[in-house]
Amino acid sequence: MNLKELYQEIILEHGKNPRNLRKTEGFNKDAKGNNPLCGDNVHVYLKLNGQKIVEDASFEGSGCAISMASASIMTDLIKGKNEHEAKEIVEDFLGMIKENPELKSKYLSEDEKTKLMCLSGVKQYPMRVKCATLSWHTMVSAFEENTEEVKTEN
Amino acid sequence: MNIDQIKKEFPIFDEKIQNNDLVYLDSANSSQKPKVVVDRINEFYTKQFSNVGRSVHYLAVAATNLYENTRSSVQKYINAKDKNEIVFTKGATEALNLIANTLGQSYLQEGDEVLITELEHHSNYVPWHFLRKSKNIKINFAEINEEGEITVEEIEKKITPKTKLISITHLSNVTGAILPVKEITQLAHSKGIIVVVDGCQGAPHLKLDMQELDCDFYAISCHKMYGPTGLGVLYGKKKWLEELPPYQGGGGMINEVKKDRISYGELPNKYEAGTMATAQVIAFDQSIKFLESIGIENVMKHEANLVEYGQELLQKNNSVKLIGNPKNKGGVLSFTIEGVHPHDIATILDEDGVAIRAGHHCCQILHDKLNIPASARASVGIYNTKEDLDQLNESINNCKKIFNL
Ligand SMILES: Cc1ncc(COP(=O)(O)O)c(C=O)c1O
Repeated sequence: MNLKELYQEIILEHGKNPRNLRKTEGFNKDAKGNNPLCGDNVHVYLKLNGQKIVEDASFEGSGCAISMASASIMTDLIKGKNEHEAKEIVEDFLGMIKENPELKSKYLSEDEKTKLMCLSGVKQYPMRVKCATLSWHTMVSAFEENTEEVKTEN
Repeated sequence: MNIDQIKKEFPIFDEKIQNNDLVYLDSANSSQKPKVVVDRINEFYTKQFSNVGRSVHYLAVAATNLYENTRSSVQKYINAKDKNEIVFTKGATEALNLIANTLGQSYLQEGDEVLITELEHHSNYVPWHFLRKSKNIKINFAEINEEGEITVEEIEKKITPKTKLISITHLSNVTGAILPVKEITQLAHSKGIIVVVDGCQGAPHLKLDMQELDCDFYAISCHKMYGPTGLGVLYGKKKWLEELPPYQGGGGMINEVKKDRISYGELPNKYEAGTMATAQVIAFDQSIKFLESIGIENVMKHEANLVEYGQELLQKNNSVKLIGNPKNKGGVLSFTIEGVHPHDIATILDEDGVAIRAGHHCCQILHDKLNIPASARASVGIYNTKEDLDQLNESINNCKKIFNL
């Protein structure tokens, strides 16, 4: 019924060939996250330059198509943003996944918004929301230099 | 045996689940409940309720008798020698914790070794890990072979002079392997080693005979056995239950309480502190009667047919990889699909009303060994049919289609 919305081509494509699935050389921020219920895990790496702009973002880990696609799209579009912009985008994304009908952040281009909206299908699958959000929570944790592993709330 | 008739005894199958007929393939997680069990809970609460073992009024005495009746039924069902060898717990998890805790208090010493297997559920590993932390015991793992089995030879290889206890699953909830518990127990006993069996998957699907198996402890999960949640059974040989210290303290488990001394009650009260899951225990009698009315031999035959059929179907389905291929296999089909994560499989199957489980099924050690983060698992119960497995296969095909495989 809604499977087509959940598994859109972009998700399947990113899930199959995730971008930035590697470890950034010379990263200066990182954090780990896991989903104890299903055993999914992610390790997010960020490299910020002198102006606090994300020069590179990457991740390692394994998970379902939704979680891999989400991390892939996230690490792609966060490059070139500063911490403030990145955090606003995270807020915007999490808000959209929870309840908002659309994305509002001025730091996202139309193209980026379209890509992220492909993940909005999980709204109808409450058990899968955490798959889409784990890497995002983990990235915030990396910015904040939290050493504690992120656990997805249910 | 008429499966359609048996299926009718389970009210859930009259429901539409998101507009679909339910294809329930998650019985290894928890089984559905026959109407007699559900009705019995309702009847007890509406017409007969009282706490047990405490008051002398009519209802209390009647409820106590009902509660004790179930104990006798369980004793007979598993052929235990003595009624007092049956202890009710909140689940198999609590039963295993009880065993580890009390043996840890009074029997296992620093440096002693406990042998478990790579197939174990977390509830047959973590309680021993507690003792590794608190008492410095060592935990060894018997390893699976290529087929996902644990052999007697492997157990023998892992026994050392320090092995004091072997704790093993009767039937793996992932590979479906049925362990040679009787032979392992013989071997263990010949070396003075205690045997604990996690019988969660064994009890609903295999013939149980404690005197023949001869293990020292056996843990049962009632909710996997067509019974209520919040209930488990610990079988323990009388000599052990008498000798070991209590687990939880409170009402019901005492003999005499003074400011300077306390003495504990007799079996089985000694291990049943506090108000127990009375309604569940009383309703569980119906689960046993239900299983007895079908006959465990018939259950085993039916489920063996289903597994063989399902195994063949899935083996023929390319890109599906079955986990384990044990000769002696219970009703569990765990698999992966190359290119589709198990959680995606489960979500897509759910859309067709096919309920399976995805994840590590509380067996992370095993999944690490197999080098996979998760698997999908279809498991059968008495109400399943070949049509259910056909639907499983068809939904798997749909899944492959969505992922362009
Ligand atoms: C093999 C095995 N052991 C232990 C358990 C835990 O049983 P319970 O839910 O009764 O605590 C389960 C159930 O998930 C199981 O499959």
